Amino acid sequence: MDARPSICGGTYMRDPETVMAPARLGAMHQNRISFVRSLVRKMAQQNWQVTQHDWQLSPQGFGHVIYKLTTLEHVYHLVIFCDEIADEDRNDRVIAEKWDVTFALVYGDVDADLLGCLRANVPLQEAGRNPNKVLVLARANKSVRVFEHLVSHLAKGLQPNVKELAEVGYILRTTAVYGNGKFGISDFGWLESNDDFNQSFSAQMCAVYILREFSLDWIHYIANQQGGDKAVSLDVDLQRYLGIGNATGLGMAPYLINHPCVVDKWLSSRESALTAVLNSLVTGNKREPLQRLLQKALCHLDQIITINEQQQDLNTTAIVELDDLLNKLESVLLQISTWQELVDYSKQYSLETQEILLSCLMEINPDLVDSYETKMNCDESLNLPSGKRIEDLLAVLESRYRWAIDTDFKQPENNYWFWYRSQDKEEPRLGVRGEEPGEDRELPLDIGRQVYRLYHELLICKPNMQLAEFLVLHPQYRAISRRVWTLGNKDMGEIQMNVLHKTALPMHLLRCKLAVFGATKFDPRSERWVRVTFFQGAPLLNEIHDGEWLFPLLPTHSLNQAVAEGETS
Amino acid sequence: MIVSYNELTAVVNKAFLGMRRTCGEADIIANMVAGLQMVGLNGIGHFNNAAQFLTAEKDCPVDIFTTNDGGLVVDLHGCSLACHLPVVIDYAIEKMVNKKHLTIELKNCHNRWLAYNELVKLAAKGLACKAQWNNGSSPQNTLYILNQGCVSPELFLSDHLDLAGSALHDMTIQLSVKSFDITGYSAGYTRHIKSSELNRALRDTWHDGILVDDAEWETLKQTATALLVENSKQSLKGAGELAHSLR
Repeated sequence: MDARPSICGGTYMRDPETVMAPARLGAMHQNRISFVRSLVRKMAQQNWQVTQHDWQLSPQGFGHVIYKLTTLEHVYHLVIFCDEIADEDRNDRVIAEKWDVTFALVYGDVDADLLGCLRANVPLQEAGRNPNKVLVLARANKSVRVFEHLVSHLAKGLQPNVKELAEVGYILRTTAVYGNGKFGISDFGWLESNDDFNQSFSAQMCAVYILREFSLDWIHYIANQQGGDKAVSLDVDLQRYLGIGNATGLGMAPYLINHPCVVDKWLSSRESALTAVLNSLVTGNKREPLQRLLQKALCHLDQIITINEQQQDLNTTAIVELDDLLNKLESVLLQISTWQELVDYSKQYSLETQEILLSCLMEINPDLVDSYETKMNCDESLNLPSGKRIEDLLAVLESRYRWAIDTDFKQPENNYWFWYRSQDKEEPRLGVRGEEPGEDRELPLDIGRQVYRLYHELLICKPNMQLAEFLVLHPQYRAISRRVWTLGNKDMGEIQMNVLHKTALPMHLLRCKLAVFGATKFDPRSERWVRVTFFQGAPLLNEIHDGEWLFPLLPTHSLNQAVAEGETS
Repeated sequence: MIVSYNELTAVVNKAFLGMRRTCGEADIIANMVAGLQMVGLNGIGHFNNAAQFLTAEKDCPVDIFTTNDGGLVVDLHGCSLACHLPVVIDYAIEKMVNKKHLTIELKNCHNRWLAYNELVKLAAKGLACKAQWNNGSSPQNTLYILNQGCVSPELFLSDHLDLAGSALHDMTIQLSVKSFDITGYSAGYTRHIKSSELNRALRDTWHDGILVDDAEWETLKQTATALLVENSKQSLKGAGELAHSLR
């Protein structure tokens, strides 16, 4: 059974057990309401302007740069500091202390005093304190190989070797993009009344999008410094192909567990949009766009280079399956009436392929999907209403938390890991229970186990006992009871994953969040951290439009031209 | 210095989790502290004060008794009110069914200022609330009245403390479906913090950030480090191996 009655216009919505299964979340792709997509649409529709406001770089490319962003009502500045650092200081981990580039998105104007304050604090990242006018604080490192390859070629008047670009896909790679009050910057609570950035993570995405423009301006500037009259600009299609990399570790997983209402909202809004699409009738004019997108997805996967064998296998399987689906698509479409039937047909394929199809179906139905982009925010409070009894909570547990109450937490494999925060910049870590230190300071991310314990405590009480009375006697269960009640009564609710299990993969959680953000090109570097790319294939700032840029591809003519030039160089 | 709401709640959350208490909800206590701090009533100071004693306090449920007139008497066994008030309020609201008024007498408790934010929430449930307590360590009588439809309470303070017959570790909370007579109840108090002042402070704080005392902030951050696990070879490997050669 995969569907249940929904509040979505009397139509049927997929079951949370299907949608919130970790493996499926770990196969998600960008879609039209992912944050990068809705941001670029808004920038295009409202004609936001970005200009170089101040360019104070040495010939070697060190110093600071300021971009000015003008929206309908406000002005912002992205202040970027470029510092010379040793190769050994350049790493992807949160515990790093130096970066090639650090930057801040600031509300309003930046005068000399503010710039001095930012200069003293932004390059320090977590070790600095920033004013409340700062909305986003972040840092990035160069892909040294791509950076040097691009500069050296452009300075000599040559286009780069496309293979070098394809392998990486970006010039700069962020390792943290902080918002919402971190290190003294502005709370999201304040931004909620700001029409420009009142959507979750939109300020962060905007800062990264402008950083992408800077990464291109930066290599052009240095190439010009080195090559003078000989220097050329990077082929514009290749510029478009380059995004911003991101390296993400375990830190995202606790975010998803600690913000369950946010996760529910993200997934239920996507699901509502998808439901509107899946219940609509298949029409002939959608066939060609769908074929084109599926073909694009196939090529996109084919062009992804990942060192992770498992991801490579998943991509290879999806390539074969997409080819099969494309071959059969025309005849399948003749036999079905709604897109739901096509999704049902795709269940013979891997989750990667199924999720690609879902993103494609959303892409070709902007009229049904785009309005959900403004439905991604939520009230995060977890509440228990008055008047509830033990039996009411038991009913929720038995209908929505089967994944937890059916797990035997007496078995060691179900308690294998414990989560903790290390002294290194308070980074979240996984330790093996009974083997590693820190179990006495375990973080309460064990939602499945807490639910299991609550359930068994409730079972020994009288079903008609008031919940409030139970909690007076057992106050330690109030937090998990609030969570169960709140999430158990939401459309999608919890991610259905025991994060303590020996085989639990935090990677699924990371990918889910990154897909909601709008990342592409998932390249796991281990089970615990992943590299992705943002804004790859997105329009450049001087050509911004709200058209589709799902599944970015290397530009064909640039590929041919650059390969030819690379061969002659 | 200025801190953000998110920063403040995150650090209180960690500080409380680091105490490893079974009673008390870290997210709610964090909101108690932030709610009090944002209106300028020294939430961090009150939490820091509580933190000195929390780990040594009993960690057990409260005892609730019903009086002859249907009111509640709650013995907190010398514990912080922050750890138990939400449970008590839930229980009291259940007992309010078919009643217009309920009195809760909280006995043997500490950190009564931290009740501020939880009591504010009652307005959303359509209840008016009046709370009173006497403090011994810095002698003061406090009266908190939150009438229906209000976002913030009217606060009344008096430095005159009549110790005879006054319990210094108790608090009385009255819930009512009707608003309280503020003028009548506040007679004799020497200082009035108006609801409008608290509302203004709250609005300004959201815009400008939260002003905190540097020393109090450092104390709070230090308390929060109890949760952290010292570095080890294993933890340094941590969230993934070093980046491979795609630089």
